Amino acid sequence: MPSEIQYGQFVRESTLKQRSVSYNDLIPKLEVDGQGQPIPYHPPKLKLQSADIYNLLAPYLNVRLIEQVKAVFPLAIYLVLFQILILRQPVQEAVLITGGLGAVILGLMVFMEGLKLGLMPFGEVIGTNLPKKSPLPVVLLIAFLLGIGVTFAEPAIGALQAVGSIVNVEKAPFLRTLLGEWAGTLVLVVGMGVGLAAVLGTARFLYNWSLKPMIYMALIPTIGLTVYCMGNPDLAKILGLAWDCGAVTTGPVTVPLVLALGIGIAASGGKGESSLSGFGIVTLASLFPIIAVLCLAVYVSTVTTPEAIIAAAKASTAIASVPLWHELTPWAEIKGGAQAIIPLVIFLFLVLKLVLREKVQEAGILTYGLVLCVTGMMIFNVGLSYGLAKLGEQSGSMVPAAFNAIPAVAGSPLYTYALGIFIAGMFAWLLGFGATLAEPALNALGQTVETLTNGSFKKNTLMYAVSIGVGFGLTLGVMKIIFEWPIAYMVIIGYTVGIVLTALSSEEFVNVAWDSAGVTTGPITVPLVLAMGLGFGNAVEAVEGFGILSMASICPIVSVLITGLWVQRGSKNKSAA
Amino acid sequence: MAQRDITVLKDVALITCVVQRGAAEPIIRAAREAGAQGATVNYGKGMGIRERLGILGVAVEVEKEVIQILVSSEQVDRVFERMYLAGKLDTPGMGIAYITRLDKAATYIPPEVLAKVSAG
Repeated sequence: MPSEIQYGQFVRESTLKQRSVSYNDLIPKLEVDGQGQPIPYHPPKLKLQSADIYNLLAPYLNVRLIEQVKAVFPLAIYLVLFQILILRQPVQEAVLITGGLGAVILGLMVFMEGLKLGLMPFGEVIGTNLPKKSPLPVVLLIAFLLGIGVTFAEPAIGALQAVGSIVNVEKAPFLRTLLGEWAGTLVLVVGMGVGLAAVLGTARFLYNWSLKPMIYMALIPTIGLTVYCMGNPDLAKILGLAWDCGAVTTGPVTVPLVLALGIGIAASGGKGESSLSGFGIVTLASLFPIIAVLCLAVYVSTVTTPEAIIAAAKASTAIASVPLWHELTPWAEIKGGAQAIIPLVIFLFLVLKLVLREKVQEAGILTYGLVLCVTGMMIFNVGLSYGLAKLGEQSGSMVPAAFNAIPAVAGSPLYTYALGIFIAGMFAWLLGFGATLAEPALNALGQTVETLTNGSFKKNTLMYAVSIGVGFGLTLGVMKIIFEWPIAYMVIIGYTVGIVLTALSSEEFVNVAWDSAGVTTGPITVPLVLAMGLGFGNAVEAVEGFGILSMASICPIVSVLITGLWVQRGSKNKSAA
Repeated sequence: MAQRDITVLKDVALITCVVQRGAAEPIIRAAREAGAQGATVNYGKGMGIRERLGILGVAVEVEKEVIQILVSSEQVDRVFERMYLAGKLDTPGMGIAYITRLDKAATYIPPEVLAKVSAG
């Protein structure tokens, strides 16, 4: 017996309960065929016990479910509590809305997983291989077509059509017809705007163009067209919609897919992945669609007159035809979901097969991903109509009861006029602030920015700057609807301030600031805010309820640019001292 | 030129643990609580288990995190066990861990620690 032992040895011996198995016993014997050639070994499928299947699936589902619950739940709770506590109104159709929100959560979860497994691999393969095999014009053409395809696949774009039916045809005929008969064309031109942004953004990757002149170049025609439309009282009403379209486009499908393509092209062009190469496309993709929609509106105004539209709308309501089965919910939503994704998939598949002649890898997983994409989109669309749009519209139409007499709300106005307006403003501010702070894309952007600026621009600083910007944006948007301020003046003033600040700021902050406008408008915020704006507009009997989203785009740009200038000044002072 | 001394560490073992992307953090925490000083994480891609799981394979992330932890040969089994449990490596698809005995390692050793060890 040794009189002393090492403590470490004691610990080791007392904790171990290991059982050893030789790996040699586990590996299969390779078989040999008649000629003595080894037969390639294919391991058999594993047979799992149900406990193992549970252990495997539980974390997989949990993580993805919680992600979406986190995005939807706080917003819904906020709206419901506001309605009950401040407005003292019960939530109507609560069961239906809860079901709808459940569908939104489930749909987004399934869709995002499908996006990752099904669509993104396509984007990556095409992004890395296309520039090697095709000349630049073909690459840019495909980038353009991809821009159109992803716009149709964007979940938030469905919200535009969903809210179109609320618009009053007599007050804003062009707006109604753009969202009605011309809805398909509208999405198409928005897609063309995104496509153009993808082309220019890719060119920017390749030639290292600065973003500043591109912003100026894009804004001049945008503001020019806005001023032109402002002069025509009928066209002026579509300005809100046009500026909102810019915000709708930069969602969870467009951004990663277009970026994957752009970065692949830049990498094969030998420019590598500069730290800023990810930025810029999002900015352009939120400016060009505005131009495109304005052009479409001007075109529509030349081919038809407001009187004709009103007459046509009256005629169609007079007939009040029984809708076909595929125009009824939930079939219409399901059809919409399929229509949104399948063309994009076919396009990507054709590019892969015909242009690249590349084989599809892991076809099983890919198919599974695409099926998830389509299913998720369908479920999300149903949830959009029954959950988000309904809840948003309800809150929007109830909030004015704080300062105005609303027939639906007994005892309204609930508060004095000034207090009521203040409450409505606070409501919008908190909604914007909270929804933005919870947006996962913003967190990711903040992280990138902190790394990029070597920590001088903190992640939290950016997140608060953007959230406060969106808060003020929503407040301004709501005020616009209440007091019927013309949207044109607001965007012109907002973007002029933006341009002045852009000229003063350094390139990196410009990139960050203009892109931060794009990340704030995710698939939950957009339908909710759009529906809320329209409900709000109807309740205060405004002509149209668009424009809130565009305010939510410009305000964070301004707030981030100001913060950027402030951070810059701070670091200069430090280096001087 | 003054002679420079290099102190090398002996009795060092390397634990390498490959898990799904995003799963490294609790494992590293468990390892540090069991006495490991630090960890290095690399990113990588894995293949094999997904194909064998069939349709359930979609629940296993292809992107992996490769955790490398240097421990003393006395700690190694304890840390290894903790990592195995923290990573739930007994579930299919969760990952694999292995130990490599190392010859030597060299790094910064605080002078007072060095003095204490050499004295004893």
